Amino acid sequence: MKKKEITRGIVVISAVALLSGYLLSQVFEVTKPRIDEQKKIEADRLNKEIFPEGVSFAEVDEKDLSYTAVYDADKNPIGRIYQIRPSGYGGAIAVRVGFDNDFKVKGVRILEHNETPGLGAKIKDAPFLDQFKGKSGNELYLKKYNKEGTLDAVTGATISSKAVSDGIRKLQEKLNPVVLPSSSGDEGENEENKEGL
Amino acid sequence: MKKLIDFRSFSLGLWKENPIFYIMLGLCPTLAVSATLKDALGMGIAFVFVLTGSNITVSLVRKLVPSHVRIPVFIVILASFVTLADYSLAAFSPQLHRNLGVYLPLMVVNCILLGRAEAFASKNNVINSTLDGLGMGLGFTLAIVIIAFLRELPGQGTLFGVNVLGKNYTPFLIMIMPPGAFFVIGFLIALKNSMDRRVKKKC
Amino acid sequence: MLNELNLGFIFISAFIVNNIVLIRFLGLCSFIGMSTDMKASTGMGMAVTFVTVMACAISWMVYNYLLAPFHLEYLRTTTFILTIASFVQFEEIMIRKFAPVLYRAFGIYLPLITTNCIILAAAFLGIDYKLSFLQNLVYALGISAGYCAGIILIASIRERMDSAPIPAGFKGIPIAFILTGLMSLAFLGFKGLFKL
Repeated sequence: MKKKEITRGIVVISAVALLSGYLLSQVFEVTKPRIDEQKKIEADRLNKEIFPEGVSFAEVDEKDLSYTAVYDADKNPIGRIYQIRPSGYGGAIAVRVGFDNDFKVKGVRILEHNETPGLGAKIKDAPFLDQFKGKSGNELYLKKYNKEGTLDAVTGATISSKAVSDGIRKLQEKLNPVVLPSSSGDEGENEENKEGL
Repeated sequence: MKKLIDFRSFSLGLWKENPIFYIMLGLCPTLAVSATLKDALGMGIAFVFVLTGSNITVSLVRKLVPSHVRIPVFIVILASFVTLADYSLAAFSPQLHRNLGVYLPLMVVNCILLGRAEAFASKNNVINSTLDGLGMGLGFTLAIVIIAFLRELPGQGTLFGVNVLGKNYTPFLIMIMPPGAFFVIGFLIALKNSMDRRVKKKC
Repeated sequence: MLNELNLGFIFISAFIVNNIVLIRFLGLCSFIGMSTDMKASTGMGMAVTFVTVMACAISWMVYNYLLAPFHLEYLRTTTFILTIASFVQFEEIMIRKFAPVLYRAFGIYLPLITTNCIILAAAFLGIDYKLSFLQNLVYALGISAGYCAGIILIASIRERMDSAPIPAGFKGIPIAFILTGLMSLAFLGFKGLFKL
């Protein structure tokens, strides 16, 4: 290839690359505020769903466990929202759970999961999640694993359900160790595994 | 003699040379997001945007780009449009952006995009390149929406998230999982093949 | 999603639990196109492994040392694809010069790999999962192993398919997809592997 062609080639590519880089940086500048705003709206909406009485929320970064503090209209702290990632059937499940000042569950939302559609995926639906409201301690067991448990698993999705309930209960135990002697219930006797195909 | 506005460019992309079935390119992103109609449509629209945009740009600069550097230049143009689509979607429709996930930026290696830039846009004027982009893009969208329809309806009993088969319908879950996608596209291509063979027999 | 960041888990997860072809739908063009011949498939598998691991390593470094520190994350797509394309080009020249035997083994598959979705996907996912350099390497290895396993398995089936009575409309590509679907079904069984 002649030298002239090579230089021309380099010039063209550099020009295109620079132009592209510049344009993309502009796109980024323009969309970034919108993207951040969307994230904030999403986060607020989620927090409100979990904790309807909350008026304002603030992120708190504590050494081993960060959380979102919830305040009412008079700036009194009325609870906390934590995010945990218990291991479910298909991987980690991102769970967001809110507690009131007595460490009773206020609300639960599933953010991300890789569970089986139609089975394990039902853990994100209201019938399963609403069960958690107002409960604490040994109530947070699935019925089949502990006599004091009050939670029904999703039919055919024991593992997913157990992951979520155990995750929430363990978190609650950690935050409020006074409440209960840690009992490990009946596990494994009739472990039904109907998930997957 | 190349016409100034050649509508055949548009219609070819739509059926005869419909990318998915006929040329079998661009498979990768389609199957992954074809589980729901909403996602499929979103992906299709993004694709039309990127294909048309890059076709226009490539056509505009076709006389300025020396032949031996054309591929990297096309790639940069494509990547720019894909990134543009990616961030625009993140800003205006975060839910869809989340659903499409990594498959949206993966569009940049979609054979159709580079293929059209190389085979058509670099050799034709802007208007025809636009039409080609729109045609191929809509053909792609049509294909992926059909696949999504055949997966979402039996697999979830819904269309665009709206339950249409009633509460007592037990979903045929395999359809919204990976094997379902493979089966659907296999059957669809077989269908198109047999249709083509019948047409050939008649000639 | 990767909760377990243990290297062994990362590998197995990428290899079979979330197999890149059968579960993630990537790499299908070459998967369907090449798998009629066992020899070609093995060649392709080897080439993909080599390129994926190296390209992912390079992309990881580019992102973490070049893009992220300067807040240029939005250039990710462009930079990755250019890096991969250049790398493939460069590597082809190197191999042709220093290991002609290897070059003959890879054949024509090396340049074809540039548009293979797998490499770019592996690069993207390594960043999205925020893996360390070593984890990224293992992840790339797992993904390529998954591709190899898939393509070799399906090639071995397809080679015998010629003698099977397949309806005319299904011959060739459609039946390959049905086969892939069945294999995908089988691999779905690995899904609950890490339910600790």
